[in-house]
Amino acid sequence: MEEMEKGTNTSPMNSSISPFSYRDTIQEGDLALVWVSRDNIKPIIIDAKQMFNTRYGSFSHKSMIGKQYGSQIAIRTKGQNRFSFIHVMQPSPELWTLSLPHRTQIVYTPDSSYIMQRLNCSPCSTVIEAGTGSGSFSHAFARTVGHLYSYEFHSVRYEQALQEFKNHGLSNITLTHRDVCSDGFTVKKSDPTSHLFPEGASQATINANAVFLDLPAPWDAVPLLDEVIAKNQKVGVCCFSPCIEQVDKTIEVLEKCGWTEIQMVEIQGKQWESRRQMVRTLDDALERLRDVKRRKQEGIERRKQMYDAVLKDDETDGENSERPQPPKTKFNPFGKGTRVREGDANYQWKQVTRVEPEIKSHTSFLTFAFKIVDKSKVC
Amino acid sequence: MVDLHHIAAEQYVILKLPSGNWKIVELKPHTSISLGKFGAFQVDDIIGYPLGTQFEIYYDTQSPPGDDDPKNKNKTPVGKVKVMEEDVSGNTEGSESSSTPHELLNVDSSATNRNLINIGNEIQSMTSEQIEELKRQSASAEEIVVKMIESHSGFHEKTLHSQQKYLNRKKRKFAKYFTVEYLSASFLLQWLLEKGDAQKVLDISEETVAVLLNVANIRSEGRYLCMDETGGLLVYFLLERMFGGDSSSPHTGKIVVLHENEHPNLDLLKYSNYGEKFINDHVKTVSLLDFFEPPNPADVDSNFIPIPKEEARQLKAGKKNAYQRRLKWYYNQHQIVELSTKCQYDALIVASTLQLSTLVPLLAERVHGSRPVVCYSQFKEILLELTHTLYTDLRFLAPSISETRVRPYQSVRGKLHPLMTMRGGGGYLMWAHRVIPAPEPPAHEKQDETNEPEEKKQKVQ
Repeated sequence: MEEMEKGTNTSPMNSSISPFSYRDTIQEGDLALVWVSRDNIKPIIIDAKQMFNTRYGSFSHKSMIGKQYGSQIAIRTKGQNRFSFIHVMQPSPELWTLSLPHRTQIVYTPDSSYIMQRLNCSPCSTVIEAGTGSGSFSHAFARTVGHLYSYEFHSVRYEQALQEFKNHGLSNITLTHRDVCSDGFTVKKSDPTSHLFPEGASQATINANAVFLDLPAPWDAVPLLDEVIAKNQKVGVCCFSPCIEQVDKTIEVLEKCGWTEIQMVEIQGKQWESRRQMVRTLDDALERLRDVKRRKQEGIERRKQMYDAVLKDDETDGENSERPQPPKTKFNPFGKGTRVREGDANYQWKQVTRVEPEIKSHTSFLTFAFKIVDKSKVC
Repeated sequence: MVDLHHIAAEQYVILKLPSGNWKIVELKPHTSISLGKFGAFQVDDIIGYPLGTQFEIYYDTQSPPGDDDPKNKNKTPVGKVKVMEEDVSGNTEGSESSSTPHELLNVDSSATNRNLINIGNEIQSMTSEQIEELKRQSASAEEIVVKMIESHSGFHEKTLHSQQKYLNRKKRKFAKYFTVEYLSASFLLQWLLEKGDAQKVLDISEETVAVLLNVANIRSEGRYLCMDETGGLLVYFLLERMFGGDSSSPHTGKIVVLHENEHPNLDLLKYSNYGEKFINDHVKTVSLLDFFEPPNPADVDSNFIPIPKEEARQLKAGKKNAYQRRLKWYYNQHQIVELSTKCQYDALIVASTLQLSTLVPLLAERVHGSRPVVCYSQFKEILLELTHTLYTDLRFLAPSISETRVRPYQSVRGKLHPLMTMRGGGGYLMWAHRVIPAPEPPAHEKQDETNEPEEKKQKVQ
């Protein structure tokens, strides 16, 4: 893990093909995701000279090269001779999202999926996204849509995302450093942008048909959209705001700007764990109580006999008589007093689900609206 | 590229009616489409406008044509259409505009409804016959509603809020407008749900299928193994995500649909606007029997040997037909062999009521390493059994069950609140990744197998 922090040379050598497009085998220079556990997924650049270190042991990149993606890499740890393993995965936008540090502000998969579906994203879509943020949603958009215009006003984040999109071969993203709330969405040749302008063009022809605004004040950006959205077709917008007051202000401006079918929704995503609960029958519980009672009775009997014997025979030395021990029970249907692993084959189990201990009870409000700027007929 | 953004002839579209209901229609040129009490319109009049446009039906003459002909008495008169500049329909449940509508500007309203007494129908002095007469005269919804407000003796006792609600309800009732929408997979699902076909599509919701498409990492170039018990709805969602309705799409992705009956059921694809050739190129169907017990290629070859094209062309008509049929069979058999034994798939997507815990491990054999396996079920318990099975199978990484629900709000300024009722259900997803287990490495020096239990896959923290 420490090695990974040091080795943040996350620029893959095979950058001609996106590491996010389907690939077959793990090769030198690839960007791969190492799955250590559900909460521990690390990006690495495959380098035959490097090791991937975990607290369970070290894995050589060499042992990964040439294997199919998804391969388990297993070792025996030197000290304790334990079996230890990782999986080497090919990145996908969703796995990439899972690999991001938890403190990162990201649009989670249930929200991003719904937004993409409501805006009907496909290779025929041109999408505007502001701001870029961690770039996690940009990856999902870039996989699906024709072209993504992403805007980030924070200069450090802009530079980071610029490098990341380049390394990830996401060539259908135009990233622009911009505060869209004050300066709008038009991308000019003189702007700090990754856009590749065609010969002679001084500004990008955007014509977006889907817009995603993850901004603190989307109402400042909405009036500036008309300039860059497609004119003669239906365009959808989604504003992503955590507070209901923001939604109220957003609706006001959307209405003023001629957006219709305004609808706000919330997404609730839950993960369910699969668990087992031991089947403990009433009969077994009763039998256990009977067993305890029986043994208790036997004990009383034995003790009585012992005292009788002591009273009858005065000569017997008290020290010679042993205190009788009750026989240990063999009836232990629930494994009391022993450590029973969930699913232990000696017991009967019922399959159950449990919701994750902490759920994301509120991500943000999603305000959708639609607009056709020019409703004239084409021939 | 095909124009996907404008209303075109010979296309299936979905119409949104003032009642909030949906209707799927095929746009046959030179015909008219009737919307019942909402009027009727000529198909040719709407061609060429952007999809998503809202039209109003209006009638020029006081007595619509055909009024005298007894044959046409029950036929909705065909009106003319004009594009509506302002959206009035709103969403089914309340995205009414927050400003005061002009119909209410000259009407008093009450701060509370304390003086409002329920006297039933008598509060409205217009009779239903009079309203029917107005409708027959093809008065606009607005005219009718204004007249009704005038004749409503308790209207000024209502609060402004309830007046607005009344207005919207009545407008919706007498309105003659409709919106022409692109028939997306989401709209197709909504249409099915509204006409009470939830069970036909296994009670799946838009938000659940949305998550399915993303976690299955659907791309335009992928090759997907799929079981679809929703009559083709799931396949349509995949096609839309992969090709966006574009029959001239250059992308090469394919969906292989396995079916448990002799013939696949992808009926809903009939509403899609992909050409037949496009669907045949991108959607392949194989029966489960053929998939698990594919023909032996040697047997196929020994049964039939294609002859050179030149020779085939010279065959006599009757013979030629028979030959063509055999040739088709021959290619089909080889394709089955290819799809069921050679292909490695980029995702397995299952929406089936077959027992998943036995089905999925077998189907996943054909899924490439590091690719997702995603199963939909209406019931969490089915997926629970599946995940327990997959936990003990080292070819699956981190199977987990997810539930996604959308909570829609009344989206009116100052009156934002979750809707009072919403659809329950929507199903669950199981998501795992196909992985390739490594043989357990030999111990250094002394054997010490007791350190780690066999079932350790999920145990690494």
